[in-house]
Amino acid sequence: MLSIQGVEAGYGSVQILNGVSLQVAKGQMVALLGGNGTGKSTLLKAISGLIKPWKGSIAFDGERIDGLRPDLIVRRGLVQVTQGKEAYPALTVEENLRLGAFVRRDRAGVRRSLEKVYEYFPVLAQKRSQFSATLSGGQLQMLCIGRGMMSEPKMMLLDEPSAALAPQVVLEIFRIIGRICREGMTLLLVEQNVRMALLLAEYGYVIRDGVVHIEGPADKLIDDENVRLSYLGGTVAGRDVAAALRR
Amino acid sequence: MQYFVDLLIVGLSIGMVYALVALGISFIYSGLDIVHFAHGEIYMLGAFMGVVLLKYTGMSYPLLLVTAMILTGLIGVAIERLFYRRLTRAGGGYTFAGMGMIICGFGMSIVLQNVAYLIWGAKPLPFPVSFGMPLEFGEVVLPASYLWIVGAALVLMAALHLFLKRTRLGLAVRAVAHNKEIAYLMGINVPLMISVLFGIGCALAAAAGVLVGPINYVQVLMGIGILIKAFAAAVVGGFGSLPGAVLGGLLVGITESLGAGYLSGNYKDIYAFVLLIAVLMVKPSGILGVSVKVKA
Repeated sequence: MLSIQGVEAGYGSVQILNGVSLQVAKGQMVALLGGNGTGKSTLLKAISGLIKPWKGSIAFDGERIDGLRPDLIVRRGLVQVTQGKEAYPALTVEENLRLGAFVRRDRAGVRRSLEKVYEYFPVLAQKRSQFSATLSGGQLQMLCIGRGMMSEPKMMLLDEPSAALAPQVVLEIFRIIGRICREGMTLLLVEQNVRMALLLAEYGYVIRDGVVHIEGPADKLIDDENVRLSYLGGTVAGRDVAAALRR
Repeated sequence: MQYFVDLLIVGLSIGMVYALVALGISFIYSGLDIVHFAHGEIYMLGAFMGVVLLKYTGMSYPLLLVTAMILTGLIGVAIERLFYRRLTRAGGGYTFAGMGMIICGFGMSIVLQNVAYLIWGAKPLPFPVSFGMPLEFGEVVLPASYLWIVGAALVLMAALHLFLKRTRLGLAVRAVAHNKEIAYLMGINVPLMISVLFGIGCALAAAAGVLVGPINYVQVLMGIGILIKAFAAAVVGGFGSLPGAVLGGLLVGITESLGAGYLSGNYKDIYAFVLLIAVLMVKPSGILGVSVKVKA
């Protein structure tokens, strides 16, 4: 569904991505892992169209999308779920969600999507008319995921949904992401929380210095000595966490 | 008492004119992070547009107001698209490009003045609209033109409010004003929304020009004075705040009118700035301004 071939990109004269290639099949959840400053966010910006790749190609649904304006990429059904802090603080929860459905014109459909998001995240329904500045970090992340769902995309790019959240909240967010995937959504999950991401995803890419450093099926990666040493910091995730995620 | 009420009404109506121009300046500032220094000339163009429309089409005043707003708004969109967009793309506000934008605004103001000189000449033109007899409420006599200013301005402000709060497009405009990158990720055509935003700001100035035309003459240099007053109004109310721009406009208008009536008409232009200094001493962010701007 998403096919990235040898993408190079950067800001000004500073090159960040040195030829990244990556594939996501329909209905699959793929994890894109790496620490700070490895090029994850730059790659996301290139996919979403916020920056233009210097070289290489990005294809979505069989058509090239690199160089397209970001709003046209959203219209094709590829939406980026921002980090929670990127919700609009001065807009209410419902206004934020309605913005997510900006590309749609069918009022009844938007209404249904809104109900669906409120069913996923009951806390958002309670706070629908509050300014999102009053929400907690976890609620903001839920709001951004919900906002991404509002356009009924074919694929979602998740930008570090666990960033700066308490462990208990992270678990809840990941459980919801798992549910979204099981219901047929294609997902590219960009994460620093390597362990959680690999427990949830089918396939993983580890990016370092702007290139794909290691890739493989998630269960292989999680046992991989290199990945563990570089990113997991020791022991493999406990079974209880894995079980909690599947719930 | 009669004298006081008269002054209040004059102040209120001229305040509405300041408020409309200040609203446009604040609206553009909140959306594009630029201070538009040619806004007074847009107001002037709007007034001339009204004169021309009246002369050649003879349309009714409300229709004339709306048409002048639309035409001037489109001129504004063209100016922004052709000249300002290159600078604002690189950033506004305190960035280097933002400084360039200020100079570009001044330059545009001079260009527009001279274009207007070429077309309409230096002589003040009358804006002959008849509003009928003054209205009498007991002791108080109200010239209908003042009522028109207040009424039309209130309708326009309400319309702007409803547009921003109730419509899909208005929501998108607000999103673009807060954060353009995130707005892009929502699937919003950001360049188009910036045009819409700038066009609305210019249309509001044009409305002010058409409203003030019948009680004053229309002339090329009319934009200079109003720009400074509207800036004072926007800053008094809190720069970037839309309700603040309206409140500031009314306060400046009323202060000016009362000052001219009770103290001295010779110093009419000073009172607005005395008010400005007084407000800034007490609350530097303006009456309705927030000290830290909420931006995502």
